[in-house]
Amino acid sequence: MTTTALKNPSEAERQLAERFARQKPEVAQKAAFEAFGRTGLPHRRMEQWKWTDVRQAVPELAPVTADADTTIELPSNAVKLSFDGTAWTIPDELPAGLNIFLISGGHDFAQADALPVGALAASMTGHSGKDMLMIEVSAKVDRPLVLSYHGGDDAAFSRVVFVVREACHVDIFEHYSGGSGFSSFLTEFGLAEGASANRTLLQEASQQEVTAITTTAHLETKAAFTQSALAFGGKLCRIETHLEHKGEGAEATLNGAYLAASGYHTDFTTHVTHGAESCVTSQLTKGAVADGGRGVFQGKFLVPRTIGQFTDAEMQHQALLLENGAEIFAKPELEIYADDVECEHGNTSGQLDEDALFYMQQRGIPKPEARALLTEAFIAEALEKAHEDVRAQLVEATRRFLRNQRGG
Amino acid sequence: MLKLDNLTADVGEGDGRKTILNGLSLEVPAGEVHAIMGPNGAGKSTLSYVLTGRDGYEATSGTATLNGDDLLDMEPDERAAAGLFLSFQYPVEIPGVPVMTFVRAAINAQRKTRGEDEISAPDFIKKAREIGQKLNIDADMLKRPVNVGFSGGEKKRLEIFQMMMMEPRFAILDETDSGLDIDALKTVADGVNALRSEDRGMLVITHYQRLLDHIKPDRVHVLAKGRIVKSGGPELALQLEKEGYDGILGEVA
Ligand SMILES: Nc1ncnc2c1ncn2[C@@H]1O[C@H](COP(=O)(O)OP(=O)(O)OP(=O)(O)O)[C@@H](O)[C@H]1O
Ligand SMILES: [Mg+2]
Repeated sequence: MTTTALKNPSEAERQLAERFARQKPEVAQKAAFEAFGRTGLPHRRMEQWKWTDVRQAVPELAPVTADADTTIELPSNAVKLSFDGTAWTIPDELPAGLNIFLISGGHDFAQADALPVGALAASMTGHSGKDMLMIEVSAKVDRPLVLSYHGGDDAAFSRVVFVVREACHVDIFEHYSGGSGFSSFLTEFGLAEGASANRTLLQEASQQEVTAITTTAHLETKAAFTQSALAFGGKLCRIETHLEHKGEGAEATLNGAYLAASGYHTDFTTHVTHGAESCVTSQLTKGAVADGGRGVFQGKFLVPRTIGQFTDAEMQHQALLLENGAEIFAKPELEIYADDVECEHGNTSGQLDEDALFYMQQRGIPKPEARALLTEAFIAEALEKAHEDVRAQLVEATRRFLRNQRGG
Repeated sequence: MLKLDNLTADVGEGDGRKTILNGLSLEVPAGEVHAIMGPNGAGKSTLSYVLTGRDGYEATSGTATLNGDDLLDMEPDERAAAGLFLSFQYPVEIPGVPVMTFVRAAINAQRKTRGEDEISAPDFIKKAREIGQKLNIDADMLKRPVNVGFSGGEKKRLEIFQMMMMEPRFAILDETDSGLDIDALKTVADGVNALRSEDRGMLVITHYQRLLDHIKPDRVHVLAKGRIVKSGGPELALQLEKEGYDGILGEVA
């Protein structure tokens, strides 16, 4: 019955259907797989995926072996969770105010139709009791929570649900370091009144890997969500965040930086709905792309009539083409129906300033180093809100990447 | 020290290409400060760019050497490491890179090219503080990105700050006096004078006698139509002030 949901399945889709058929799904998982089945792996004929064709990039599920590129030194008090592609490992001892549960069974994924790859993760998880987490935050937790994702062979799926209770806070660092041919990771945030979360995310993968990191976030009254993501991409990497302001005065910061070397593709897609009055969204996405690399930015702010009144929202995307042959695709969208709002957006892509490069060279800095220094400074602005324990290391990772580029 | 012989250079691309330096010869011996004056568009900044190796300002014939080394053969950063410094007529903004980070990176890059050790952090900070004080540059300014949001005068003072930090063997100052208030002009001139030494040369491009009152040049050259058309002692600047270029150029033509 599951295969019938997919029309003309590709080899990869057939393998996914088979994998699903081996499970004993409950209603919610079946619904999620059906939602996935309506589109199959997203492809370029779908408006939201026109620049990021997953179906083409994943002809079949095939294993990869890859080591993590970057070792991030974590603060000694970090609460470390890791996912090996199949199962989560959770520390025995947790600080007060932090509860972590492994979940099995069905759990509705309301945005399944808008997020087909997220729906796929929702359908594939919760069967084993090892790959789905519920993380409840019921205090201002002062130890950062670290989630490391590495491994999975041919395919990896995980789902993590954060419930942050009223006026509680959590700092999260997620490190996605590849190791799976195809992976889809779904994270859902529910922030109650006055709750806050500061999420920092680092994504790396080899040139054989296709990764989708899907996030949804619901913000109640005066909740605050801050996200800083640094992504190096992969054969294809989509980092998609759908956020909804549901209570008055909620605040969101969605910052991202992408770096794409030759043969790498990085996609940042965001969708923010201002579903309550007086909410604030600030979004800054920066990118730097080398010859043969591809960067994609799709950002949308939706501000409905009446409920979206007094919205304050700004979206900026700035990208650098490091070399000829770099490709950047950008689509910033503001859809505004309320009349008393402040919404701004800006979108630029260009090359490094030759005058600045010459000035730096005149002071003794060789051109490749001058390029790296300028680009690093450009990218670092999007990482200013990253968690202080890892921020410098993210900038360092950016620097290493830039030093390895040919330049010119 | 700096020796230019029959230097010719074009700027611009394609049809817009034109010869700006046209057989320019000039020698500045070590220990001397020479001034260059000349009408707008004469090629003074072009000369400074040709010597420092800016893209699009290539010499087509002639030679330029610093202590016998062929400048025209080197990359811009190699020329800097060889001791050549240009105080820009229009200093450039470097967004996101704080002054202290930038100057330290520059000094260390020069040292690396010369095969020397890096400057230690305490030495660097101490030196920056001392020079900053001399030039009335406060510590906050040194934390800001290079030239971003700086006033015209602040940019010029920052050029001199960098020159004093780098202690180049040869400095070209391209209209460093323009945009400076009366006190800042004095401060900057004091900085320049402090760097005068037997083994260092300087070329000061200016339109005004005012700066030359503070920095007493050994020689003054008039650059017009891409070459040095007249040279003399400090009195030549005074004569220019009185008679203007028309008088002087009429005389040589
Ligand atoms: N990149 C360029 N492309 C085309 N023309 C140029 C370029 N750079 C300089 N020029 C021209 O070369 C001539 C000399 O310019 P330059 O800036 O050297 O003059 P200057 O003597 O420094 O003048 P000023 O006193 O106004 O600073 C001018 O006519 C200028 O327009
Ligand atoms: Mg000039």
